[in-house]
Amino acid sequence: MSTQPKMQRRLRIAGMLTGLGLLVQLSTFFGIHASAFMAFAIIGVPLTFAGCTLFLYSLVSNPK
Amino acid sequence: MINPTTLTVGVFIVSIVLVAGIILRPEMTVARTGKIMAFIALFLLPIIADSLGLSVHFEKSKQTSFCLSCHVMQPYGKTLYVDDKHYVAAAHFQNHRIPVEEACYTCHTDYVLYGGVRAKLRGIRHVYVQYLGHVPSPENIHLYSAYNNRECLHCHLGARSFEEEPTHSAMHDDLVANQISCLTGGCHDTVHNVGDLAKQKFWKEDH
Repeated sequence: MSTQPKMQRRLRIAGMLTGLGLLVQLSTFFGIHASAFMAFAIIGVPLTFAGCTLFLYSLVSNPK
Repeated sequence: MINPTTLTVGVFIVSIVLVAGIILRPEMTVARTGKIMAFIALFLLPIIADSLGLSVHFEKSKQTSFCLSCHVMQPYGKTLYVDDKHYVAAAHFQNHRIPVEEACYTCHTDYVLYGGVRAKLRGIRHVYVQYLGHVPSPENIHLYSAYNNRECLHCHLGARSFEEEPTHSAMHDDLVANQISCLTGGCHDTVHNVGDLAKQKFWKEDH
């Protein structure tokens, strides 16, 4: 198995995490409520952070 | 000029579209341009979007409706409509002496360097308590420390109505030094008084 599909799989997962995080964050802008801030900070930011971290990890690691 | 929220939503939409491109066609990252796009879509833009989003949320958290979105704060919101000029918060709110859209923040921020940051950190603590902690009853909510005259004098100091009032003139230096509180009994000691709400008449009922 070549390294490329594994790399691409990681990028896809990173994209899914980041995209989901961004979608959650985007949905919180359409209202003024403490729960919107909580959803942004507790769900959106960690998902995006996880996606960015996985992307960086996929760059520095050498998947076999 | 573009509204910051609109700009932020735009950055989020662009980010999501680029991320969707990576999800649907990850093989594009084999090429150099694809690698650059992946870096922008999966790292650079999300970081920028998150920073802008946090800034938008912090700005929104200044709004009166944000503070009153927690059930426990609603009696405090109701006190802004009390039909009694002795209620300091109500008199300021009803006469637009403070921006009505940022009524809570205007009086409960600290007018010092990083005072806004401190107010927002307190706000984050409030949100934490609201969702994950023990929420006290409205009557049992107290300030972290005694209200500082500095917050009142930020607007009132130098104002004719303040300076020409004989009581203020007599204790001017003590008020500025925060030695005598503006909220001292007999002065401006009726602020929110949520415990007395049941007995009050209201200026407006549509709040």
